[in-house]
Amino acid sequence: MTTTRTDQDAAISLRGLTKTFGSKAAVRDLDLVVPQGSLYGFIGPNGAGKTTTIRMIMSILFPDAGELAVLGHKSALEAKDRIGYLPEERGVYKKMKVGAFLRLMAVLKDADGPGMKERVQRWLERVGLGDVAHKKCEELSKGMQQKIQFIAAVIHEPDLLILDEPFSGLDPVNMRLLKDLILEQHQRGATVLFSTHVMYQAEQLCDHIIMIHDGLKVLDDPLSAIRANYDPRAVLFEPQDPAVDVAGTLGALPQVEGVIASDGHYRVQLAEDSDAATAVQAIAARLAPSRVELYRPTLEDVFIQIVTEANALADQETKDLREALT
Amino acid sequence: MKKILHIAWREFLATVLTKAFLIGVLVLPVIIGVMVIVLPILINEEAPKIDGEVALVDPSGAVTATVAEYLSPEGFVERRREIEESIDEVMPDAVKEMTAANPAASKMMEQQLDQALGDVPTIQVTELSTGADLEAEKQALLTGDIQSGGRLAVVVLHDNAVRVIDGQEGYGTYDLYIREKLDDRITDAIRDALRGAIVEARISGEGLDPVSIQAMTQVARVRPKEVSAKGEREANELINMLLPMGFMALLLVSVMTAGQQLMTTTIEEKSSRVVEVLLSAVSPIQLMTGKILGQLGVGFLMLSLYSALGIATLVSFALMGLVDPWLFFYLMIFFLIAYLVVASLMAAIGAAVNDIREAQSLLTPVMLIIMVPWLLWMPITRDPNSLFATITSLLPPINSFVMMLRLTSTTPPPGWQVWLSIAIGALSVYAAIWLSAKVFRVGLLMYGKPPNLKTLVRWVRMA
Repeated sequence: MTTTRTDQDAAISLRGLTKTFGSKAAVRDLDLVVPQGSLYGFIGPNGAGKTTTIRMIMSILFPDAGELAVLGHKSALEAKDRIGYLPEERGVYKKMKVGAFLRLMAVLKDADGPGMKERVQRWLERVGLGDVAHKKCEELSKGMQQKIQFIAAVIHEPDLLILDEPFSGLDPVNMRLLKDLILEQHQRGATVLFSTHVMYQAEQLCDHIIMIHDGLKVLDDPLSAIRANYDPRAVLFEPQDPAVDVAGTLGALPQVEGVIASDGHYRVQLAEDSDAATAVQAIAARLAPSRVELYRPTLEDVFIQIVTEANALADQETKDLREALT
Repeated sequence: MKKILHIAWREFLATVLTKAFLIGVLVLPVIIGVMVIVLPILINEEAPKIDGEVALVDPSGAVTATVAEYLSPEGFVERRREIEESIDEVMPDAVKEMTAANPAASKMMEQQLDQALGDVPTIQVTELSTGADLEAEKQALLTGDIQSGGRLAVVVLHDNAVRVIDGQEGYGTYDLYIREKLDDRITDAIRDALRGAIVEARISGEGLDPVSIQAMTQVARVRPKEVSAKGEREANELINMLLPMGFMALLLVSVMTAGQQLMTTTIEEKSSRVVEVLLSAVSPIQLMTGKILGQLGVGFLMLSLYSALGIATLVSFALMGLVDPWLFFYLMIFFLIAYLVVASLMAAIGAAVNDIREAQSLLTPVMLIIMVPWLLWMPITRDPNSLFATITSLLPPINSFVMMLRLTSTTPPPGWQVWLSIAIGALSVYAAIWLSAKVFRVGLLMYGKPPNLKTLVRWVRMA
């Protein structure tokens, strides 16, 4: 499940990283390699250890044990000017003008130079805030401030972009804009690592997923591999006639192991040795469907399956966990 | 280093360009200046020239002449000259030398004094007969103009004011009726004139010589002369007390203002969550260093501003000779030490708490320590080389303040003690920054329950 690679050229490489706060282990023995130019999603419920890990990568916190390398340096402090970081706890200088704030951030990243003012203005226009450069930060709404903070993280064109919960608090329109901007940075060649507790966001954006639960890494695979590995071997089925006895009829098929009703549709679990394609045909032949499709596992399902297997969770705990992920 | 300077510059501007700072620091001296220069002019304009009459009922007939002499323009001029002389007496030698060498300056001072006292009034004293209709005379207080011969006051001496009447015990006094809203300086002059005249009349009535009695009852006030190894010199008690306090207040005010500001901006950065954004570009130590440097600039600005104001005042009163220029050098050094200790503690407090209210409990011990020198001001200026003064001037974190008190006192401490205090101060700066840096680094990203002392100790161990 966990793949251990060694990569000298990796943007981020962590080995045996451990951090405890008092008696609570926030991160336990974490190995991680993020290759250059990749787009990694770092997911897990609240309190899983994502922010702690990211802060250790940024050398804001220091690990109790383990080694890390960022952009070939032993510490992010030596490469800070090449890293863009959008922290989860983020804010702006309220009394400062937006343009001045962004230029200050550029200067602090050693990226000040001729044309910085224009670059700031271009970015502001890019996020639809072309007229705010002379406004005080406190005059902006929270969503606008968040876009300013994103600009602050990318204004110096970093090689590595670390975003901690970048979508929290954004409306759908701005969420899409941010998604585009992140992809743009990725296409520019930047390595992107972003964390989220909302799994579908990672699913839409990433090519590689790291999952963390209770400080432990539980998954580190490309998205496609995850989908293949965690094929739940199930079919989603909705009959044309809602009155028909779906469980009884389909349960009699040899390819079918069981039928579970949920929210107006049925989840038909396939037998171990059956072929999914023929099973769908058989099901459709037996009952007229309004919808029949192979069930695609969501990251949420994968996550819950992993955690449930590892911890033998009770039903209620599983339900709570599922709620924490949406 | 460049980043630190950028942080420092932002910190400096963010503090100096706030309305509160401009009003508190810059406008205050302006207001004081206005009060010192403009207010006396305004007051003078309000005191009109007096030309009036004082009517006197004098049964003894021995008082009126003396009163008239006292209230005559010549009498007023004579008394002013006496005031000038007494000012001259308390004025330090430096000023006298300056005015002696510069007649224009002495002329100017006299003019200023005249201005402060107002124009010499012209007062006519009229004696009324003992049988005069008092009510009718008092009516004159309601009419006429005090600038053109109108009646200012009616004085009625009692029969026994000058001479004890048989069968009565002791001397009597007089009744004084004055015009509405009469300038209190005129009232005072009338009272003084009557007191002097009545006493003189009583003395003459007993067959004694008032001039010799007055001479007998007066001893000139002398200024003490200090005897020291350097020889004798005249002690100026007031300046001796005020100078140390001035220097220490200067030190304390600039250190506290800059320190408080540092704490406030740190809390703001933390509560507005901008701090982690900054930490993506600079390390906590760089951030703290930059902020401390920025507020150091604020403190220096205040110190120079107030120092310049103080020097200007001293120069204008020609008292600069009393202040050793080296004191300003020491002031800067001890400011640096005191500021760095206080500022690093303030930065740590600011980083440890979530809002200004939570800071109060941690701030109290720091404030108490800083208030100690105020309590020590009197004993230390009185006896600047006592064992107690020596120990406290070497004891961080109050050594800077106490040493400044001792340096500005009449008997400065030996040089080795000053430099020892500076060395101890430098060590305390190192310790304070070392300690605070740890709390700062851990505290910056800690939200939630405000820390107590135990938590802070844990943070120091953790970092």
